[in-house]
Amino acid sequence: MASVGKIARRTFLIGSAAIAGGVAFGTYMVKRPIPNPLLDDLADGEAAITPFVKIAAEGVTLITPRADKGQGAYSIQAYLIAEELDIDPKDTIRTPGLPGPAYYNAAVMTEGSPLPAYDESATAETIRSVLRVIPKLFALQMTGGSSTVPDMYDKLRHAGAVARETLKEAAAIRTGFARAQLTTENGHVVTPDGDKIAYTDLAVEAAEIDPITDVELRDPKDWRYLGKPGLTRIDMEPKCTGAEKYGIDLNFDGMLFASICANPGIGGALESFDASAAESMPGVQSIIEVKAGNAGVAVIASNTWYAFQAVNAIECEWGAPAYPATSAEIFANLEAAVNKEDNFDHRQRDEGDVDAALAEGEVFEAQYRIPFLAHAPMEPMNAIVKVTDEKVEIWTGTQIPLFIKNRVAQNLGIEAENVFVYVQPMGGSFGHKLEMTHVEQAAEVAASVKGTPVKFTWSREEDMTHDYPRPASVMHARGKIKDGKVDTFDVSVSQSAMAPGWFGRLTGIGIPGPDATITTGSWDQPFAIPNYRVTGYRAPDMVPVSSWRSVGASGNGFYHDTFLDELIHKAGADPMEERLRLCLHEQSRKVLEEVAELSGWDGPSMGEDKGRGVAFCLSFGVPTAQVIEVTNTDRGIRIDKAFIVADVGRVLDPMNAEAQLTGGMIYALSHAINSELTYENYGPVQNNYHAYEGLRLYQTPQIEVRILENMSGIRGVGEPGVPPAAPALGNAIFAATGQRIREMPFNKHIDFI
Amino acid sequence: MTTRLIVASLTIAASVVFAEVEISPPESATQAEGLDAWSRIFDVASHPRCANCHTGPSDRPMWSGPTYGTTRPHGMNIQAGDSRMGVEYLQCSTCHTTKDTDWDNANLMPHAAPRVAMGWALAPVEADWFGKTSDEICAQLRDPDLNGGRDMLEIAEHLNHDLILHWAWNPGGGREPAPYSLQEHVDDILIWGVAGMPCPES
Amino acid sequence: MRLTVNGTEHEVDVTSDMPLLWVLRDELNITGPKYGCGIAQCGACTVHVDGFAVRSCQLAVGDLAGGHVTTIEGLASPEGLHAVQEAWIEHQVAQCGYCQSGQIMQAASFLETNPEPTDEDIDAAMSANLCRCGTYPRIRAAVHAAAKKLQEA
Repeated sequence: MASVGKIARRTFLIGSAAIAGGVAFGTYMVKRPIPNPLLDDLADGEAAITPFVKIAAEGVTLITPRADKGQGAYSIQAYLIAEELDIDPKDTIRTPGLPGPAYYNAAVMTEGSPLPAYDESATAETIRSVLRVIPKLFALQMTGGSSTVPDMYDKLRHAGAVARETLKEAAAIRTGFARAQLTTENGHVVTPDGDKIAYTDLAVEAAEIDPITDVELRDPKDWRYLGKPGLTRIDMEPKCTGAEKYGIDLNFDGMLFASICANPGIGGALESFDASAAESMPGVQSIIEVKAGNAGVAVIASNTWYAFQAVNAIECEWGAPAYPATSAEIFANLEAAVNKEDNFDHRQRDEGDVDAALAEGEVFEAQYRIPFLAHAPMEPMNAIVKVTDEKVEIWTGTQIPLFIKNRVAQNLGIEAENVFVYVQPMGGSFGHKLEMTHVEQAAEVAASVKGTPVKFTWSREEDMTHDYPRPASVMHARGKIKDGKVDTFDVSVSQSAMAPGWFGRLTGIGIPGPDATITTGSWDQPFAIPNYRVTGYRAPDMVPVSSWRSVGASGNGFYHDTFLDELIHKAGADPMEERLRLCLHEQSRKVLEEVAELSGWDGPSMGEDKGRGVAFCLSFGVPTAQVIEVTNTDRGIRIDKAFIVADVGRVLDPMNAEAQLTGGMIYALSHAINSELTYENYGPVQNNYHAYEGLRLYQTPQIEVRILENMSGIRGVGEPGVPPAAPALGNAIFAATGQRIREMPFNKHIDFI
Repeated sequence: MTTRLIVASLTIAASVVFAEVEISPPESATQAEGLDAWSRIFDVASHPRCANCHTGPSDRPMWSGPTYGTTRPHGMNIQAGDSRMGVEYLQCSTCHTTKDTDWDNANLMPHAAPRVAMGWALAPVEADWFGKTSDEICAQLRDPDLNGGRDMLEIAEHLNHDLILHWAWNPGGGREPAPYSLQEHVDDILIWGVAGMPCPES
Repeated sequence: MRLTVNGTEHEVDVTSDMPLLWVLRDELNITGPKYGCGIAQCGACTVHVDGFAVRSCQLAVGDLAGGHVTTIEGLASPEGLHAVQEAWIEHQVAQCGYCQSGQIMQAASFLETNPEPTDEDIDAAMSANLCRCGTYPRIRAAVHAAAKKLQEA
C-alpha cells in the first residue's frame, strides 16, 4: 500500500486491486491509507476500488468517468492517464465505467464560492477546499461547471503514473533488472537490453504486488500529448464516419420503442386522456399512463416513428401546474421582486457608499431583462431501459448518473445496487442532461414490459416544451459618472431561485440559504468602482428552471458588462481604456490588453454604419474578453469579425480549447440574437428549431482566439466563452447604430442578416 | 367549349389522384366582371402561398404570412440560384422532397418543408409578384413576354398542371391556404380572360 | 418494401409514409443519420439518394422510387475515407458530433455540383444544417480543404 508521506496532502489515494485476469488502478472507495483486508478475499477487486486504469490480457482500459457531451471530456481524460501511463489512447479500450461514489466531482461547486475567482488569498483557497468536500459527502458524480479538467487533472495523471510504475515493478521482478533501469514506451515496459514486455502481458503479475504509489508526476515540459498543438480528439474519426454511438443509437435484440406526451405545465396532473385513435395505429403495442417525473401518456411501439405518430393522436386533459400561465405574469412577478426587502436574497458586493452617491447629482437608470431559454441540444432526451425482477439497466447520455441510479431505484422499489447506469456519449447537453425526468418516465414505461429493453425518446417538440429552462430574470441598474469616469454602479437582479429547486428535484433535499446563481457573473467581476453594489432578489418559484451553459453568468455577463458600457459611454471614456483602468486583477487586465491588440482596437467607431464592442466576464475562474465588429446593412446587422482572449491557467488541448471558446461564443450569440421561450397556457410556445433558430453558418463571423496561461492552476473552457458574447454584440450594435438594446433576444429590437 | 383534364395521370405515377379541375370559359364577360375576377385573382397571387415563391429577380424565397411571423427571406440563407431550384448550392428538393404517394397526407407536420409530387422550385424571374401591386401583377400576367407566352386557356391549364400551385390550396401543416379554391381561381382566370384581361387603373 | 442502402438491398415491412430516417435507424439499425427535429430544420438526418443530399426525415420511404440510399456509413470507399471526412478530421471539426454526419453528407453532395466554392457559396449551401455546438468556422474551413483535396485527386 501507499506510504502516507506525500499522499496525505492529496485528497485522493491511488491504489490497485486484482481483477479477473489482471489489475485495476484507481481511488479507494474508503479513504484509508492502510491495507484493506477485504482485498485478500476478493476475486474481483473492483468492489473495493474505483478504477481509472485496468490492465488485463485482452487490453488496457482507460476509465473516463466525466461524461462527454461534446466538450471533449472523454478525450482529455484519456490523454491525462495516457500521458503518465505511456500508451497511445487510440490503442486502448475506453469507457466511462459504472457510476460510483468515488468518482465524485470535487471541483463542481467551487464556482459557488463566496469569494470571487480573482481572489487567490489563503482564506479564499480554504473556503474553496471546503467546497471541494461537499460534493464528496453527497457523492456528486456530476459533469458540469467547467470542472472536468480542474478535478481530474491530478487524479488521472496519478492513476497513470501509479499504474506505470507498478507495471515496471512487475517487469523488474520478472527480469531481474532494477525498476529504475526500466523505461516505458507505448504500452510496453522496455528493458536495458531493448526487450519489450507488453503491459497486458504483465497484468497478472502486477496484480500480485503492492502498487508503487510514491510517484513523481512528469514535468509539463516533458509531456508528449498534453498541451501539444497537434493533439487530436480520440473521438473525432468515429464522429466523422457515423461509427460513434450516442445513447439514442444503441440497439438491442427484441428492443421496443416508446415516446410520450407529458404535461407541458411541469408538475401538473394528467386529468384524463383519450387514446382510442392511437390504439389502432400501426405498430402500437401498448399505451401507458406515466406518473414518474412529469405526468403523461406513453406509447410503446415497434419503432420510434410509430410511437411519435400515436403519441400525437392522444388527446390529454392537463391539470394546471403551480406557476403562472404566461410570460407576462411571470415577468410581472420578477419585476415586482426587484428591490423589495421581502425578496432580498444576497448582496456579495457592496463597496463605497452607493446610497449616498445616488442621493445627489445626475443618476442614470436602466432596466434589463433576459428570457427563459431551452438548452435544445441536437440529440433529444432519450434512454434505453431494461427492467427485470433482479435488476434495472439504463443506457443514457447523462451528466448525473448517480442521481439517476438512486431515483430509479426509489421509483421502482429496487435496491440502488441493482440499478446499473451505463453512461453514453451525448449529442450535446448545455446543461439539459443535468435533469432526469425522461429517465424516470422511461423506467416506468420499461417496467410495464419486463425483460424487454425499451428505447424511449422525446420528440423534438416534447424536448423543447418540457425543458427545465435557463431562468428568466430582470435587472434594474443605477449609476453615476464623475470626472469622465465610472463612479457608481448599482445593479439589482431578480430571478426565481435556480440551484435549490434543481438540487431538490434530483435529491429530494433542499439547499438552504441564498442562491448565488442570481448574481454570479455580476457580483464577482474584477473591477474597482468607487461605489459598487450588486444585489440578488429572489422572485417566487415559477417555471422550474435549471443550469444552462455558464449558468448565472449567462445573463449576468450581459447585465454587468452592458450597463458598464453604458456608463463608460456617458463618461465619454473609451470602452477598452476605462475597463482597463477599472480592472483590479492583473491577469484579467492582460486579457483585455491582449484582446485590444488582437482586434486592433482603436475605439468603438469604425466608420459609417460600423462599430465594435468589447465585453469582459470572469466566469469559472477564466477571465474572458471578446471584441465583436458589426455592420448595419440594409438587410440588418451583420457580424463581421470576432475576437476572443481567455486565460485558462494551463492549456491541455489547444485545438479543443479554441473550439470550446468559439463554440461558447456562437452558442451565446445564437440566443442573444434570436432565441427565447415564451410561455402561454403554462408551456413554451416555441416547440422546434423553426421558432428557436440559433445561429447558422452564414451568420457566423470569422473568430480569432488567443489563449493565455497566466492564471494559477488549471480551468475548464466549456463555459467561459459564453458570457461576454451577448454584451460584446450589444455594445457593437450601439457603436454602429446608437441603439442600446437591454433585452434579449436582440431581434425583438433590431433586424439581423 | 369545355375542356376536362385530369392532371395526375399525365405527369406522374398513376396511383396519385387529384381533384379534377374544369376548364370552362364563360360565353361572355363584361369589363366590370373581368375586373371583379381580377381582384380575386390578385387576392390569390399576392397571398403568401403563391407570392413567397414568386420573388422575381431575387433568388431568395420569402417567408411571410400568418404562420411565419415577421416577413423575411426564407431562413437558413436559402438561395435558389439561376437554376431557381438551388442546384448551385442547396437543392430545394433536399428538404422539399418529392411526394408521389398518399398526397392528401403529404404535409401533416406543422413547420416541415412542404412537398408535392414534383420538384420544388421558385417561379421564373418574369413572374415577379412578391410585394407587387395589383396593376403590376396584372400587367405581367397579360403580357405574353412575361407570362411564358400563354393565352388565357394556357394560363388555366398551367394552373391545372403545376402541382406546386395545387399545394397552395391544400398546404397542410396549419398553413393558411390561398383564398377561394383552385376551381374558383381557374374560373376567375377564364372570366378575366374572356373580358379581355382588364387591369385596374393604378 | 425493398430499398437499397449503401449497396445492400433490404426488405422492410413498414407503412409507406414512414420517413426514410426512421426506416434506416429503427428498422435497419443504420444510425449514422440522426434525428434532430423531424421537420427539415436541422439537417442531422441528411443522406444521399442517387448522389443528392436529402433530408431523410422528409422523404417517405414509399417515395424512394428505387433510389439508392447512401448514408455516412457508406460514404467512404474501400480505399479510404472520403475527402470531406478527411478534411473534417484534419480540422477537428466535431464537438458533440451529432450533426456532423449530416454536415458531411451535405458538403459531399454540394462539392459534386460546386467543386470550387467561394465562402459565399458555402454559406448558401451549408446554412440549412444546424450545429448547436457552434462548429461553423471549422466547417467552412474544412469544406474549402475538402474541395482542394477533390481537385487534386
